[in-house]
Amino acid sequence: MKYDFLDSDVLSRLGALPVEARLAMVGNVVGKHRSPHRGSSVEFAEYRKYVPGDDTRRLDWKAYARSDRHYIKEFEADTNLRAYFVVDCSGSMKYASGEFESKIQFARRFAATMAYLLVNQGDAAGLSCCDETIHLELPPSRRPAHLQNFFEVLGTLEPKGETGLVDALHTVAEKIGQRALIIVLSDLFCDSQSFADALQHLRYRKHDVAVFHLMDPQEINFDFTRPHRFVDLEDSTTVVAEPNLIADEYTSAIREFLTNTEASCHDVQADYHLVTSDQDYEEVLRDFLTNRLPKKGKK
Amino acid sequence: MTFLQQAMLWGLFAVSIPVIIHLLNRRRFRTVEWGAMQFLLKATRDSRGKKRLKHILILLMRSLAVAALVFAIARPLAGGFFGWGGGQVETVVLILDRSASMERSEKDIQVTKRKSVLTKVADAMNELGAARLVVIDSATGQPQEVPSPDVLPELSFTAPTDSGADIPGMLINSLDYLKEAKAGRSEIWVASDLQRENWAPEDSRWEAFRASLSEEDFQTKVRILALNGRERNDFSIRVVSARRESGELVLDLELTREEDTGPTTVTVNVDHMGARSGSEVAFNGQSQSFRKRIALTGTSGQGYGWVSITDNANKRNNVSYYAYGDEAPAQSYLIAESSTDEETLKSLTTALAPGFANQQVITRSPELAYQVNFEAASLIVWKAPIPQSPVSDQLFDYVKSGGVVLFLPPSEESESSFAGLSWGAVREAPGEKYFIVKDWERGDGAFRDASDGSPLPIDRIRAIKRREISGDFTSLANWVNGEPLLARRVIEAGQVLFLSTLPSYTWSNLEQTALHLVALQRSLEQGSRRIGASFFAVAGEESSLPVGEEIRTRVDSYEEITDPGNADFEAGVYRLGERLIAVNRPLGEDSLEALTGADLGSSLADTGYSLLEEQDASGNNSLSRPVWRWFLIAMLLFLILEALLCLQPRRPVTNSAPSPQPLT
Repeated sequence: MKYDFLDSDVLSRLGALPVEARLAMVGNVVGKHRSPHRGSSVEFAEYRKYVPGDDTRRLDWKAYARSDRHYIKEFEADTNLRAYFVVDCSGSMKYASGEFESKIQFARRFAATMAYLLVNQGDAAGLSCCDETIHLELPPSRRPAHLQNFFEVLGTLEPKGETGLVDALHTVAEKIGQRALIIVLSDLFCDSQSFADALQHLRYRKHDVAVFHLMDPQEINFDFTRPHRFVDLEDSTTVVAEPNLIADEYTSAIREFLTNTEASCHDVQADYHLVTSDQDYEEVLRDFLTNRLPKKGKK
Repeated sequence: MTFLQQAMLWGLFAVSIPVIIHLLNRRRFRTVEWGAMQFLLKATRDSRGKKRLKHILILLMRSLAVAALVFAIARPLAGGFFGWGGGQVETVVLILDRSASMERSEKDIQVTKRKSVLTKVADAMNELGAARLVVIDSATGQPQEVPSPDVLPELSFTAPTDSGADIPGMLINSLDYLKEAKAGRSEIWVASDLQRENWAPEDSRWEAFRASLSEEDFQTKVRILALNGRERNDFSIRVVSARRESGELVLDLELTREEDTGPTTVTVNVDHMGARSGSEVAFNGQSQSFRKRIALTGTSGQGYGWVSITDNANKRNNVSYYAYGDEAPAQSYLIAESSTDEETLKSLTTALAPGFANQQVITRSPELAYQVNFEAASLIVWKAPIPQSPVSDQLFDYVKSGGVVLFLPPSEESESSFAGLSWGAVREAPGEKYFIVKDWERGDGAFRDASDGSPLPIDRIRAIKRREISGDFTSLANWVNGEPLLARRVIEAGQVLFLSTLPSYTWSNLEQTALHLVALQRSLEQGSRRIGASFFAVAGEESSLPVGEEIRTRVDSYEEITDPGNADFEAGVYRLGERLIAVNRPLGEDSLEALTGADLGSSLADTGYSLLEEQDASGNNSLSRPVWRWFLIAMLLFLILEALLCLQPRRPVTNSAPSPQPLT
């Protein structure tokens, strides 16, 4: 395959799994996702009283025969889903320890695979890559030809500079007029409160948000043994530190960060997934999709 | 503490190795590009404090472990005796006090202070390795080299003696030896029980010693091993005097104990010319004098014997020997000035020789005082102005040898003094009034209570005239106004008495009360004790040794002399040619007075001496123990502590990549 972040085996294995939205979506074409509006699907929604001006063809004559009253029979509307991938391109996404891939590579694999699945089931996939400023934005489209552009953009992503994730999320929230699935792929090394506010903004705009918190295992465990000079991937700040001396404080700080981030996501009912680079993206994606499948008795 | 391999202490610089390694390690960092910098910065800020302290402690433990290893390799010797800063010593001069008091033992009767110190010194010398040991013992006072420390306890000149010890003399000898031998780096070790009599802190030789020590080109350290523990109560017995008196042998004995533990009985055994007898003596107080009379046949001939008590802390002072010769009259001299009235003279002569057997009084004028036979005099009554030299010197020597001089108020004023006492002005009682006695010493002195405990009627003394006494004295009886009636000054074995009134009706009613007779007779008895003194000698002193062609042989059978080399310093009864002499330990050896820290400090001021006090001489704690093992243990402990500090606290087991449960 042309793109090293795409695996045809994974695509074929995951192809049977539908991508579902948790919330009702507002699409521009008919699709397989629930819409907040009434429509013409076969799924019965409710009865309502006939009011003058209603299409008489939608009168339920059987109900009229039973009750001698005029009822309009309404059905659910099905629409398509628009998914927006917000990929953090800050310098820290470049970090990779040992034999594991970098976080940005994981984000590429994940976004590309999922975009393929979405377009394949008729939904639209868009991309927003952000660092200090949003520098690349691909509007959602459901055309198969769009995937080509999507993959091209992902392939050319070069993480650098400080993160612009919070601004990107606010921009996305403002730009996307209709409900959409927002998938955030980032290490979230930004101000926790600002990130929580951005999530609130997305939630306010009724978007379905899924956060994939990408971390390298060493960023969590901090299992260095000898003194190191740490150079910041974002702004080249240098710190010489004795890992033994600071390991406890570091792990304590990182755990607090993870807990706070997870809590922020819970607050806005966003999906939160802490993903480490040593995990298989296929597993992560499968779990994500499986968990989104409607429960029995529900659509 | 001292180190046998002092050069190894340079290795202490190695304590900086852990620090240097740490600093080098800090410089040998790896560079890594890092994303989660905000947490790293926060952790760096938070880690200051406890963690840094822990890190410093780890470094400290490593440094201490290295230091302990270096100390262990340097072969340290501990034990307090060496103190700090010891080192290689070329010559050790051991000042060994082997006086009678050093034969005291505490817990184990077999381990005397002397034996204990010899063992300890031998061990310490073995630890010091190549150092030369020279012993100056208290008996001979001569430096003698010891070929091997191991034989130290078996040598003649380290064996027990009954002699005293002259510590300042021995110290001066040691310096003389060191100067002569050019001994290099040397130390003087003084092993003594700190008996004040032996140390004589007021002796002028201490100053000479200090001056001499400070002149030394090489540094000589003085170390004192003070064996001054007194755990057991020690009883001692002493024959104060032995004399023939009216067909009897009168033994004046003195029992002493260190601590007054209440009334008790002591079995006193007397071996007189091979005939042994024992009796129980009720003993109360710290010291008690009592008398034993042994019936003799005839009034001439020599005899000897010993008095002993049951063995206790110090065997050497549990026996005292005596010898005696022909009966000699108790001779007293009355030195009366020409102005002395007849009545006073008569009263005094009658009181000095009231008609008892063998009492004589010889009256002399002060001008003929040189005719006094001081050897034979038991008491000298001086009713004249205080004499000038040379008579006063003769009189003073007489007192020192055990004689008693009673001074009575002279008729004329005089500026002279004797033994620090002098006469003041004559005081007369106002008309129709008398000087009366307020209090007097009832346990001791001329006015002590009678043997049955009944007091003398001293309060019946009335005086119309008295002469004031000034100087440094002990008052045995006081007038109402606090002025002394009878003053006493003890000089060595003898006494000087000043009586402030006369047995004359123009002065007092002493004659009517006959109390002057009591005072004079008691003083005469006190002075008579010295008469037999020619049969007594002190161990180690010249008087105990033969003169000219005399051959010295021991005649008593109390104890056999085990080491003929020490016979001159052993107590016992000896025959020196025709003479018989009882040799006893010096009086000072029974003294309970110990040298105080202040005395020691002033005697050895500015000498930088070190003092180790061994309370328990019988203990097996040596002067110097090799303690390198303890340093190795300390090193291990430091390493264990370092390892414990290095251990990271166990973190809760968490998946390194936790996958949170998805939200609904």
